[in-house]
Amino acid sequence: MADFNSSFDMPSASSSESAEAAELQRLIAVEQQKAQFQAQVHNFMDVCWDKCMDKPSSKLDSRTETCLVNCVERFIDTTLTITNRFTQMVQKGAH
Amino acid sequence: FSYFAFNNAEAAELQRLIAVEQQKAQFQAQVHNFTDVCWDKCMDKPSSKLDSRTETCLVSCLERFIDTTLTITNRFTQMVQKGAH
Repeated sequence: MADFNSSFDMPSASSSESAEAAELQRLIAVEQQKAQFQAQVHNFMDVCWDKCMDKPSSKLDSRTETCLVNCVERFIDTTLTITNRFTQMVQKGAH
Repeated sequence: FSYFAFNNAEAAELQRLIAVEQQKAQFQAQVHNFTDVCWDKCMDKPSSKLDSRTETCLVSCLERFIDTTLTITNRFTQMVQKGAH
């Protein structure tokens, strides 16, 4: 994804053009954040649908809903566990 | 405009910053890969906390996955070297 955080360095721009450029950067950053959030939701959906949903029934029962909540939290825990362990391995290995 | 007329010091620094970001991105991609693999292997039904059996499985999974990759790499390297005559 393109990084629009570098400053637009246009020496001949007026102050209003600089203000517009800054506002555009801000709007782009907001949209990037929204897109990242949505992508993360889709990722959790893929993972937790497989783990928690057996045969879909006529309603979302509380057992499945509890599983889904646990799933998101445990997936984050898992990612942290692996990140920490892999970081240790890389730091030990790099000599 | 002279956006691309970096001097040597600026170009070297830019290359260094890019290399650092590439390394970070590679590390993150590797973590995501391990997480996908080991989540499937180790996580049964997610519960209200990460119990120690699952955590042990995740650490073992990570180490055994790397061992497995090395085993296959070494064996396949042998096969390719023997096969190439």
